[in-house]
Parts: sequence; structure tokens; C-alpha cells
Amino acid sequence: MKKNSKKIWNYALMLLITVLTLGPFLITLFMSLKSSGQGIYDGLLPTDPTLANFFTAFKKANLGTYFLNTIIVTAIAIPLNLLFCSLAAYPLARMDFKGRSVVLALIISTMMVPFQLYMAPLFQLSGQLGLQNTHIGLIIMQVSTAFGIFLMRQAYLRIPKELEESAYLDGANKFKVWYMVALPLVKPTLVTLAIFTFMGTWGDYLWPLLNTTESNMYTLSIGLAQLSQNFDGSNLKLISAASILTTIPTLLIFIWLQKYFISGATDGAVKG
Amino acid sequence: MNKEPVALAQVKAKTIQKEKRRLNAKYFTPWLFLLPSIVILGVFLIIPILEAFKWSFLDYKIIADSGEFVGIENFKEIFKDKDFWMSLLNTILFLLIVLPLNVFLPMILAVLVNQKIKGVATFRILYYLPVITPMVVAALIWKMLYSQNGIISALLVKIGIFDSPTNLLVQSSTALIGVAMITVWKGLGYYMIIYLAGLQSIPKDVYESASIDGASTFQKFKSITFPMLAPSVTLVSVMTIIAGMKVFEEIALTTGGGPSGATTTLVMYIYNKFMDLDVSIASAAGLILLILSIGASLLQMKMTSKNEDDLRA
Repeated sequence: MKKNSKKIWNYALMLLITVLTLGPFLITLFMSLKSSGQGIYDGLLPTDPTLANFFTAFKKANLGTYFLNTIIVTAIAIPLNLLFCSLAAYPLARMDFKGRSVVLALIISTMMVPFQLYMAPLFQLSGQLGLQNTHIGLIIMQVSTAFGIFLMRQAYLRIPKELEESAYLDGANKFKVWYMVALPLVKPTLVTLAIFTFMGTWGDYLWPLLNTTESNMYTLSIGLAQLSQNFDGSNLKLISAASILTTIPTLLIFIWLQKYFISGATDGAVKG
Repeated sequence: MNKEPVALAQVKAKTIQKEKRRLNAKYFTPWLFLLPSIVILGVFLIIPILEAFKWSFLDYKIIADSGEFVGIENFKEIFKDKDFWMSLLNTILFLLIVLPLNVFLPMILAVLVNQKIKGVATFRILYYLPVITPMVVAALIWKMLYSQNGIISALLVKIGIFDSPTNLLVQSSTALIGVAMITVWKGLGYYMIIYLAGLQSIPKDVYESASIDGASTFQKFKSITFPMLAPSVTLVSVMTIIAGMKVFEEIALTTGGGPSGATTTLVMYIYNKFMDLDVSIASAAGLILLILSIGASLLQMKMTSKNEDDLRA
């Protein structure tokens, strides 16, 4: 009897927390489905559910362009970051060379530096290099990251050396050993890094905000922020629809790669 | 007779070649691996950081004919600026609101979803949803919830905190609490996972023997779970402080630092200076932010390692 009531309390508490974490999304979803006839604060549920706001978001708010830009930058950033980080981390984990500790210390210490310290010089540099309002300019902070190198190095350090050593005895060179032996063994960490890169690029706000002035180069974050400049009336329905659409890709990837998100959360704890 | 020296020479040549290749592999190959990252990080990270250090000692405004060396004048100006001290105070207040909530709420979540009962896996996922939400979306959703006619304002009237519908974000006395709640909401699931890892490293027989001794659930939490989670508490606190010092989107997209500076944190201060093209002041303030965040994590590490020593003693 006592055990049962404890169970009920547990579920009640867990459901209450669910209302807190899921509720805001549901309210936003309901808002986005409200028809033009229904006032924005006129009841919680849509009385006459419609997808019109989603279509309007694409037509009037140019959401399609922002989606395309966001997809382009994410699709460039992820493979490049995986390649460059997994390359750079390998000698830092496995080779003995002069300057290794200096490079490693430099990489780890830059992880602590807040972006706001160097955003102004970066902004000027991006202008000088002609990277403003370009896709490449949007992702320069994501194509090779100190955090990614650190993460990959930890992964290489965890795999046993013997496999690589026997490959060397077979006459393979370092690139071949890296590509054929080490890389397949750190696949889970590659997925984790891909997720981090995706989250970092898809939702990035401050750098795209500084580096884009033309609306045809806006990413979803910037487009959404611009849309929210007018934060009332029927525009709230559009903002809600655009917010839902912006979140859906991250949600799908989360559902697909759930266990990597969870294991990655503890890996990322060092990031700070 | 002649054969042997030739063979010897061949062997020698081969050894030299081999040695050359070995040296190549030793000195050259590592840098080949590192090359792309070194170029990218060098140009877009290291150089800007060094520039920022330099700019903080110049009088620079991103325009020609500026950039005179002024020594520590920028820092003097910042320390004389009332807005700076206010932004520092707001950052500290923000951390004071977020830190206890970030330490305790996710711990409760983790204990709940660590039970062996049906459905906890689903709850874990539901609690993680805010973490994967893009920050811009989270900020806008909450801005909507906070609006005067929105649900939060209605709830606050219902439980008697306000007499009439009020938007927390437009009152200077409550705006910082409002944005802090967005941060807490977004981090709940993440810190829950950190605690979950900590909980799962506690050996089960400790609980079993406590149960045999007749300990209640609360007693078990107080005397076993909580002390054993000390390392996770440290980790969550450090991460909260470091992330909290850099809080930006939640504020920029909801209050923009207002009303009348009530939510202007250190990062918002830097951002505002940058927007005024006062980049030397922005860089100098950024340097202060860097020093503070390094200092905070060092202090925290020291404090908690002392705590752990006390526990062991």
C-alpha cells in the first residue's frame, strides 16, 4: 500500500516536470495553429486549427531562404570539422614530436576564451578577407574547433595501441593507419562531435548576427530574431510557426541519435 | 671479392633512406596532420585573440587614424564607468539566481529518472527537449509566455504574487529573474544527465545495507546520495558559473539588456560597446571577463577539493 502511494507521487512529480519542459513547446505549437479568426491570447487551444501560418512564414517571412542557408552552412561545417579535428587530434594523441605539448596547451587554453573577447577583431578580419555575407564566413568558427580536437584526442587515447602497432609492422604509413585503423575505432566520438557541430551551427546566433547584413544570407536564428522585432498581434503566430519549424530538424536528429546525445553530454562537460 | 662492398653500400644507402623516412615521419608527418587546423585556428581564433589583447591597450575604433597606444587607460575608463559596475553586479545576481536552481533541480530530476520504474526512459527524453532547442527559439518562446496576456502572468495573478497581469521582463525588479528562468529551463535536462552519470557510479550495496538498517528514503538521500554526488555538484557549479558569465541570447532576444539596464550583464556590456564601435573598451572588458571566468573556475576547484578532503578526514 505504502509502496503504491509512493509510486503515484513519483509519477505525479515526473508529470509535473514534464509540463514544465514540454508545456512551452505545446503552447507555441497551439499558437502556431490558431487561425486568423482567433485572437492570439483567445484560449489555449486552436479552435479552428490551420497550417496557414506555416505557409505564410515561408511566403512572407522568407523562411525558405533562411532554411537553405542554415542547411548549407551546417552541411559544410560538419564534415570539415570532423575531418580537421580527427586529423589534428591524432598526432597529439599518438605521435611524439617537438612542440606537441605547446600545441596541446594552446588548444586547451583557447577553449576557455569567451567569444565576446575576440568577436570584434574577428569581425574586422572577416571584412578584410571578404567573408562577410558569405556561407564560408558564417562557419569559420565551426570548421575546426579546439573543443573538437580535444574531444577526438580523448577518444584516440582510449583505444588500445596494439592494433595500430601491428598495422605499422605490415608496412602501413601514418595516414593509412589513421584512416584504416584509428578512425573506425573512434566512430562513436565522431558522431558525438557531429552532433555538437550541428547544434553549434544550426542554432548559432551571435556570429551570424555580426557577420550578415544582407537578408538573403540570414540563417534561421537571424531570420527568426528579425521576425521577432515585431513581437505582437498576428505576427506572434508566424513567430511560433517559424520557431516550431526551426526546432523540428534538431528534434529529428535527437530522436535518431539519442544515445549519442546522452553520452555526448558527459563528454562535453569539459567544454565549459 | 667485389660483391660484398657493393651489397654493403646498398644496405647503407637503404639504411640512410630508411632513416630519412623515419625522421620525416617523426618531424614532418605530425605537422601535416595538424596543418588544416593550425591554419584555421591560427587565423580565426589565435590572431583575433591576440588582436583583442592588443586593442585593449589602444584607442581603436575600427576606423583609420585611430589606434594610438594608451596603456591602461581603457581599463581605467571601464573601472570609472557606472554601467560596467552595474553589469558586473547583474552578472553576479544572475549567477546567484541560477546557481542554486541549477544545482538542485536537475538533481531531483536525476534521482527521479534513475528509479527502476516504468516509463523513466521517456521522461528522460522529455526532460532533455529544452536542451536541444535552439537558443533563439527558447528565448522567443519564453518571451511569448511572459507577455502580459500570457500564461505566466495569469498564473502569477492566480497565486497572488501580482494584483494585475504583469510581464516579468518589463519590470526592472523582476526582469533578471525572468531571463534566469529561461537559462535554468534550458539547462535542466543537461545537468540531469551529469547527475545521472554521478548517481550511476554510486555502488548499489551501500543503499542495500542502509535499507537493512531501516533508513528512510529521505535519510538515504541525505546521507548517501547527496555526499556521493559531491563531484557532480562541483562539475555542475563550475559549468553553471562559466556558462552563466557568458549568458547572451536569453537576454539579447528578450529584454535587450533593459529595462533601464536591469538585465545588462557583462557580456551585454561588451556587446553594447562593440555596437558603439568602442572596440578598445569592448576588448578590455572582454579581457576582464576572461580573467573572471578563469578565476572563478580556479577558485571553485580549490574550494571543492578542500571540501572533499574534509569529507575524507
